[in-house]
Amino acid sequence: MGAYSRTVVLEELPSGSRARIVEIMGRGGWIYRLYQMGLTPGVIVDVVMNIGRGPIIIRVMGVEIAIGRGIARRIIVEPINT
Amino acid sequence: MSQSTHKKEYEIAIIGQPNVGKSTLFNILTGRKARVANWPGVTVEVHEGETDFDGSRIKLIDLPGIYGFSTISLEERIARNYILSGRPDAVIVLVDSLNPERTMYLAIQTLEMTEKVVIGFTKSDAAHAHGVHINYDLISKRLGVPVVPVSAATLRGIRSLLRTTIDVARGRAGRKKPLRIDYGELEPYVSSVESLLKQYEERMEYPIRWMALRLLEGDNDLYKYVRGVCGDDIAEEIVKIREEIKRIFRRDPAELLAKKRFEYLQRVLGDAIVRLEIKKGGFERFTRLFYRPFIGPVLSLIILLGMFMIAFTINTGFPLNILLDSLGMHDAASAVEEYSIGGLMEKLFSWISSWITNSFGESWLTDLVANGIISGVGSVLIFLPLIMIVSLFLAILEDSGIAPRMAVSLHGPLSKIGVSGHAIFPMTMSLGCNVPAILATRAIPSRSERLRLLMTLPFIPCQARLVVILAFASSLVSGYGALLVVLGYSAAFLAFAVVNKILYIYEKKKTGKKEPEIILELPPIHRPLGKVLWWHVWDNSKHFLKKAGTIIFSLSILIWFLVNVSPSLAITDNPSDSIAAVFSHYLSPIVYPIGIEPGKAWIIAFALLIGFIAKEAVIETLTILTSTASPQQALMLLGLTASQLSALTVFVVLYVPCIATIAVIYSESRSVRHTLATIALMLGVAYVAMLITYGLSLII
Repeated sequence: MGAYSRTVVLEELPSGSRARIVEIMGRGGWIYRLYQMGLTPGVIVDVVMNIGRGPIIIRVMGVEIAIGRGIARRIIVEPINT
Repeated sequence: MSQSTHKKEYEIAIIGQPNVGKSTLFNILTGRKARVANWPGVTVEVHEGETDFDGSRIKLIDLPGIYGFSTISLEERIARNYILSGRPDAVIVLVDSLNPERTMYLAIQTLEMTEKVVIGFTKSDAAHAHGVHINYDLISKRLGVPVVPVSAATLRGIRSLLRTTIDVARGRAGRKKPLRIDYGELEPYVSSVESLLKQYEERMEYPIRWMALRLLEGDNDLYKYVRGVCGDDIAEEIVKIREEIKRIFRRDPAELLAKKRFEYLQRVLGDAIVRLEIKKGGFERFTRLFYRPFIGPVLSLIILLGMFMIAFTINTGFPLNILLDSLGMHDAASAVEEYSIGGLMEKLFSWISSWITNSFGESWLTDLVANGIISGVGSVLIFLPLIMIVSLFLAILEDSGIAPRMAVSLHGPLSKIGVSGHAIFPMTMSLGCNVPAILATRAIPSRSERLRLLMTLPFIPCQARLVVILAFASSLVSGYGALLVVLGYSAAFLAFAVVNKILYIYEKKKTGKKEPEIILELPPIHRPLGKVLWWHVWDNSKHFLKKAGTIIFSLSILIWFLVNVSPSLAITDNPSDSIAAVFSHYLSPIVYPIGIEPGKAWIIAFALLIGFIAKEAVIETLTILTSTASPQQALMLLGLTASQLSALTVFVVLYVPCIATIAVIYSESRSVRHTLATIALMLGVAYVAMLITYGLSLII
């Protein structure tokens, strides 16, 4: 883990980076779907692909998931240096 | 449960998260003899089937694929209510061997509801190849639940799964009580709710602890239920406890509980699963192209377009015949057309028709059989190969994991018209048939997007409408025929895009909604199983054949009578004296604006009216009304100009697809208003588009 922790939103993470989920903000049905897919605080996500537009591809618990940018903006993460 | 009941019949539910291979396994277990269960008040398709095992009859219920038991979707609600109803003797929860860490979440949730659970690990044959090694015994011991590895590809474990399930149903294996997870610092709150509910235990239909957990997670359905049973005071108390968790932990209790469940799962699976890193295959890397801007959407469109081109060529020779024609290879072009499957079948049906007339002599009965039934049903049946080929392609895309990647690639372009990448599945299915496409919108997370799609999906031409377009096209010189097909599809997608955009803008103004969102799992790319592909193809073909055998068959007879019987109930040779003609004269004016003369207008009007029931029927109506053998001859006889044909094509493509689609729009929206609005919208858009097409084609 990095020497200091700072938080960013998932949307800002580049391809190939890794981070720990800190918080998921907002409400609505989609948030329950995220929980069910294993995206809860403390869980580690790998960014498979983020090209600055279109859905972000992440890997959580070995499963690849595409997530829209609006949702990715509401997932607060703490980058992990690898 | 202490007593072991030795019933001869068991009802077993199968559930699993999406992509774990549930449907495939269900089909194997039931030997493909499943049918759609008719559950009162439920419109979600639930399949059930039977199998015999060791002298016991097992009724299997295939519940919809869900991620969990919250009540955010209709599917989740149905699965949950069924499991809680006490009807199933046991529940088989399927878990994906390739990613048990995620897919076992559903098993954990099920175990909190009921103890009668068997866990099946699917794709067990592929696990080793993917570097996943699972200690099934250890997992089974930790959970106290039987765990059976199975494989749909090698059929390993199928019998063992059935045997274990019966053991659980009889109470000879498995847990004695539902699973109790230690929720740590949340336990005091859970027990508070539990003790509130305990006072009413006798009147409760569900397990108390499970209810307490779900209430803390904010389950609205259950909250209403509890308020009904226990009264407002208890309900108020529960809300207070929930609020307290929020205040102290500054988190949504649903999030905290989900996190605890995953942590528990980690403790169960942790050292029971060993993963070896396996290098990504070249094809896997190729599929990353779908995520690229520009390349991704183009790739997806090429696949879809290519798929339909191949299907069309095999079936009708189009568009290869036109290509050859334009290259000057006229003989090859006509050969491709003549020896296409459609061409050959058409020959067969007209041969049967003339054989009947020749051998049994001319009478009204032979006319009914030859010109009514055989040419009516035949004009539709020639499209069976097309339906089989398109179904095969769609099944390949779906089963290989390419389809969700296409959804991701097209999410960007689609969100411009207010729909998400999720919409690509129902949109593609619509090209086959609108009915399953409308059912497929259930997977779309946004309700408003779903309602918009219910209204607009029917614009996308199904194969029935393709049948009409191709028949119209075949009556034109080949080059123009191709243009007509392009026109039909362009009009459809333009209408789909424009209407969606307008509805989206209107909704944005009203509710301030933001851009469409996507949350979509991307299962690993894999080679589809041959038998699964065949099931898809056969199911679609069966549906089509059934329709041809029932609706189209009865319509053929009905239309023949309406066309050959006069209002005074005498048989007439002159269609313009018939009941159909007399009645349709009132409708004729609708096609006057595109310059169709009154003498022929009633034929068109009547065909369009019949088209409400099923679109294929437009063609058979035209053939029967003109008493010709083929759609080409019918259209030739009607002497429609290219402009009129174009305008009619656009109308046929855009107006109400069929009765079945309307019925399913109603059952899905459960709103008469929404359904009527859809019909009005389609008729309005179709009519205006028809007039515009006619006007434009006259200018050109």
